[in-house]
Amino acid sequence: MSTQSIRTRFLGTETSFSVSGAWLSYWILLLRLTAGWWMLHAGLDKIWAWPFDASWFVGGAAQGTILAPFVTPFSDGILLAFVNVAVPLGQTAIGLGLILGVLTRTAAFFGAFMMLFFYFINGYGGGWANGMVTGELLGIMVFGTIVALGAGGVLAVDNRLREMELFENTRLRKLLG
Amino acid sequence: MSDLSTADQIAMYVGGGLVVLGVVVIGLLDMLLGAGHPVDSEGAIEHAAVVPIDIRAGIILLGLVIWGLVAVYKFAAGSAPSGSTTGQTPSGMDD
Repeated sequence: MSTQSIRTRFLGTETSFSVSGAWLSYWILLLRLTAGWWMLHAGLDKIWAWPFDASWFVGGAAQGTILAPFVTPFSDGILLAFVNVAVPLGQTAIGLGLILGVLTRTAAFFGAFMMLFFYFINGYGGGWANGMVTGELLGIMVFGTIVALGAGGVLAVDNRLREMELFENTRLRKLLG
Repeated sequence: MSDLSTADQIAMYVGGGLVVLGVVVIGLLDMLLGAGHPVDSEGAIEHAAVVPIDIRAGIILLGLVIWGLVAVYKFAAGSAPSGSTTGQTPSGMDD
């Protein structure tokens, strides 16, 4: 089993540790599958029960939260119509992206972006009764881990996309895992 | 060897520092200096926050937003990644 040595200077100190390449690959795949199904399930649930109406969330639950100025304008009209479509389709696309490893880093970024709204609005809604570390915050950290590690190299379609001219040696390659 | 750019350092130290401050440090202060922590009938801890919850949430939000902005910046402003295109080398965020 291959072991990778990580050596870096961090917070003013020399840091080194070893990590099993196989275990790292295994774990980031599990992170992708778990977080991916989380999003895919949430998205498909909304699509199965179409039409989806997010007004209770963006217009109701968001009231009085720190995100209210950014979210409540989306509570009616064309902006609400956009949210009603963007959330289910976005969650589904993020889930598929993570599970299949397609544009993995992009999917994880938007997963974290979406989770940021759920974190604060659900947190305020529940009065932060169980503290400020919630499933949504841990979700943001999982998505952030996938972004930081570029965790799309394991059993991922990104391995094929990386060979395409569109992504080869271009900035767009950063969108992949 | 460390090759952190200014953007990397802002994300790590400012963004991460704010998240840790909001989640961990203020949480610890609340626990040590706050009023008692009675548990309500549903098992949830009733908070008596030393730092107002809006300020704490704002600190965490700012940290998360900084992370996100740096990620966007690194995509928009960074150079194209170099290296193998054989599918075995993830491009990483280190370029």
